Amino acid sequence: MKFLGVVIVCLTGALLLYGTGEFPDWGDPNSPASLHLSNDYIEKAFEETQVPNLVTAVLADYRGFDTMFETSVIFCAGLACFLLLRDFSQKKERFYRHIPTGVILHVKNSKKILKVGKEFEHMDKDWVPSDLIIKTVCRIIIPFIQLYALYVVAHGDFSPGGGFQGGVIFGSSLILLAISYDLKTLVNRIKEKVFGIYAAIGVLIYVGIGAICMPMGGNFLDYSKLAPLVPGDPHHIRALGMLGIEIGVGIAVTAVMAIIYINIVSEGRHDEGL
Amino acid sequence: MDILVIFCLTIGLLFFLGGAVGIIRMPDFYSRLHPAGKLDTLGIFAMVMGLAIYNLHHFSFEALLLSAKMFLIVFFVFLSSPTATHSIVDAGMRAGLRHWTKKKRKG
Repeated sequence: MKFLGVVIVCLTGALLLYGTGEFPDWGDPNSPASLHLSNDYIEKAFEETQVPNLVTAVLADYRGFDTMFETSVIFCAGLACFLLLRDFSQKKERFYRHIPTGVILHVKNSKKILKVGKEFEHMDKDWVPSDLIIKTVCRIIIPFIQLYALYVVAHGDFSPGGGFQGGVIFGSSLILLAISYDLKTLVNRIKEKVFGIYAAIGVLIYVGIGAICMPMGGNFLDYSKLAPLVPGDPHHIRALGMLGIEIGVGIAVTAVMAIIYINIVSEGRHDEGL
Repeated sequence: MDILVIFCLTIGLLFFLGGAVGIIRMPDFYSRLHPAGKLDTLGIFAMVMGLAIYNLHHFSFEALLLSAKMFLIVFFVFLSSPTATHSIVDAGMRAGLRHWTKKKRKG
């Protein structure tokens, strides 16, 4: 069986290598990719969309359909993580710390849940001591990371960046919160339901902006038809449409990042983990 | 002015060199983190100091703003780099990695 696997892998690799031989050379001006569409994008993108960043213009406008389904792929990834890993059964073993004395209680096989508050404190099995330095620094830095993430989302039209990158940065700031405090802090602060709703809302914003274009008389995702709805210079409408979908992508990616992290780290229980 | 810039950049390079050599030459995990956390931080400070002064050649409000932004980078590196080192060392201690000693341990 192992031998068969090796043979298949080698065969596929050989086929792929054989296929690459037919590719046009690197940077060949006569290759099919650079003959027709690319020139058109490069020459007309700024005139048509008023977006200085060509990559964003291609990604969010000319190929908006593609990006829409990329966003839904990310949504599906979060959904799959939730469906496969989420475990609603309560754990029987629990650990508590009595705060005034520092005594640690190990509750086995009991349905009684101690009240967490002034007297007792939750503890994870893989206990991480609450480190003052890390907590404080992360508390200072997390708002700046989030601000930067918003900047990356909003500035996607003008400089490298956009919804996916900004969403990942925002999501990583939430993960940093979960690492520096503990998972419960994040889960208590933002409920699981909220993450799920945000992931769906993000995709909905994207699809919704696309769908509004249709009753306005254009094709799906044809932002130029949105001009009567938005006050201001009608030349900028395509840039504004892109900004709108970037925001949708950012929201979806942020929520999905958090969902994936929380589910994987706590084995679906959402109570303890890294 | 240029001399000051060159001086700062050289100092920064020296720190970075020390950090790189330290990461390769130090005997174990914890002592390797020491140059990685400290020298790089100070190296970045000196480098950005030099670049910020260089940027002020043609003094204007915008140039000043850009230099201030550069120092913002230094501020965040100063906050995050030692904290990251600290937490890595913490994780190493908790995972049970013994520190290096000059004598060979028995057994």
